[in-house]
Amino acid sequence: MAATNDSVDSKLTSAELTKRNDLRSRKPYVADKLAQIAVMEERGEISPIIRLEKSYLCNFQCTHCSAEFYMDRHLEKTGVTDERRKMNMDDVRTLSRQADELGLARFVITGGEPLVMRDFDEVVAAIDPEKHYVITDTNGWFMDEARAKHIKSIGVEKAQISIDSFIEAEHDAFRNKPGAYKRAMRGIYACLDAGLNLIIQTVLIKGRAHTKEFLDFCEFATKHGIGLYVSYAKPTGSCTQHPEFVIDKEEADFLRELEKKYNVFTHMTPSYGSFKGCITVKGIITVTSSMEVTPCPYIDFSLGNLRETSLKEVLARGMRNPWLGPYRPDCLIGEDPQFIKMHTEKTADAKLLPLPWGQGFSDEDKLIP
Amino acid sequence: MPDAIIDLAIFDEHGRCVPSSDLKAEVHRRTRRRFVCIQPEIDYSAIHSRIAGALNDDGGLSRDDFERQARSVLDKVSRDPATSGLAKGIHLPFFLPRMPDALSRDIGSDLDKIYLPAVEKSFLDAHPQSSYTRHHKGSLTGQLSVTGGSRHDRLLQAVSRTTVVGYFFLALQEYSVPASVEQVRRLPDTFLLAGGADTCAAFAGSPSLLLNPDAYPPLLWLAALSAEKLQTAYHLEAYGRNLTFNRRVHFDQAAEYWAAGLTVLAE
Repeated sequence: MAATNDSVDSKLTSAELTKRNDLRSRKPYVADKLAQIAVMEERGEISPIIRLEKSYLCNFQCTHCSAEFYMDRHLEKTGVTDERRKMNMDDVRTLSRQADELGLARFVITGGEPLVMRDFDEVVAAIDPEKHYVITDTNGWFMDEARAKHIKSIGVEKAQISIDSFIEAEHDAFRNKPGAYKRAMRGIYACLDAGLNLIIQTVLIKGRAHTKEFLDFCEFATKHGIGLYVSYAKPTGSCTQHPEFVIDKEEADFLRELEKKYNVFTHMTPSYGSFKGCITVKGIITVTSSMEVTPCPYIDFSLGNLRETSLKEVLARGMRNPWLGPYRPDCLIGEDPQFIKMHTEKTADAKLLPLPWGQGFSDEDKLIP
Repeated sequence: MPDAIIDLAIFDEHGRCVPSSDLKAEVHRRTRRRFVCIQPEIDYSAIHSRIAGALNDDGGLSRDDFERQARSVLDKVSRDPATSGLAKGIHLPFFLPRMPDALSRDIGSDLDKIYLPAVEKSFLDAHPQSSYTRHHKGSLTGQLSVTGGSRHDRLLQAVSRTTVVGYFFLALQEYSVPASVEQVRRLPDTFLLAGGADTCAAFAGSPSLLLNPDAYPPLLWLAALSAEKLQTAYHLEAYGRNLTFNRRVHFDQAAEYWAAGLTVLAE
């Protein structure tokens, strides 16, 4: 495997290579799998990150939350009872094994807010940090020094802290949580001190890329050597009522210009020698608490339920779907008006999300009806 | 000779080649035109100047001759009802200076040393704030050959004899690379599948081809060139306001983001 790793390594930046070598010294099996991703893609295989939504419990109520409609508080508000069987630890272990057999290498524990999960440590163990690169999303509220050191000690490699404005009052208002900004900033330094890899996640609503606030944020992240991961606002979840949040091509291009100067990137930015464009299925999938698999965090159409369909077949369904499989440079749910319209219409009256396979996506899908 | 009888109106109102009904390789029969280019301005003098500068050509072809020959190509396709749609699509005039040993030269090496630097120079001259990134770092020497049936060899034959003038038409949107080759065999003899030299010269003449502030432009395959590995090809691609060159496996698939060009040479 070494020769192949060398050729992949030649495509990495020095910072990427340093991180990869550090991981290789501690977790060679995981590092080798990561190094194989570009090789797999060359063979037509994929190695998406698996986002694991075991619980939607959250201490925040954010304006743009993509998971709001999955949450118990939303179901209670709408009087819907969700009788779907929920993910348990055996499911996580089975998924980990299936993913490993397919060469998949990365899990993100997300939610909800992962750090409110009582069984967080157990989930990490069930994923198996010796076999997979484990990442956690967090709003940072509970990420103090002790927690950061603890999650590092149980095998988590990376934290992804969400901050939606570099201006404290704006972030707190967007998150509907006074004190959210201070806690998130504390979390950043706690993660760095604990030796966790770290990125800051931020949602880009239309017009924000051109603001001083955003440029200051880029400057801050770059100065601290932290990647600023920018997610375009998508018209799903709580954001469904805010189509004006969706950015246009000019702003997407402007953001690509900022990549030259700042440590800022999106899910379409080439990384680790991989050029995937929109990463639906190819670079990411989400497993919901009812074991449905969606092709990205913001698309509420399932590609199948893992209790009925193998992960391998679910991924194959995604790759043969004309919306998801082919390489494309734009964000499907964030930039393609036709898909956004179809998604909005199909999910409008849904009581439970995601829509099962056959109701949202199917093998009959066509770009032009 | 073409493999099949040619129907009228081979090209639609956007200049896209209507896929022949008997194509075996993957192609999208219809397009929603999600990925589109903006037609660059045809200023023959400026285009001549850019190509000459980018290819270090010291003036074998006058600007007037370039314009006259290029116009003759466009007039001819416009007059024929079967091909007139082409002129409504993206079309770029170009020339390639004579290269007597064109048929024996290494195509990959020429891309490395002549044509890709020409693309880079012309693009950055026109867009100094933008960048050109060659993601594929390896040498192309020995890596490329003319795809059988693409008719691209005719371009090289012509270049070996004389300076050639032609038009590049972005007509094969949403074709797989093999379908592009199949389709060319069903077109009149004058149509060649675009490869490296012609695509790059056309791009050097019109370096804003893949810039579109309002919509995403397609990825542009050098479809007439076979790579060192099956189901793999090289391409130019925009990244925002910037240009990239890269290599990609395509698995013989069609995608709405993918396009290739046709070339017609002046007689």
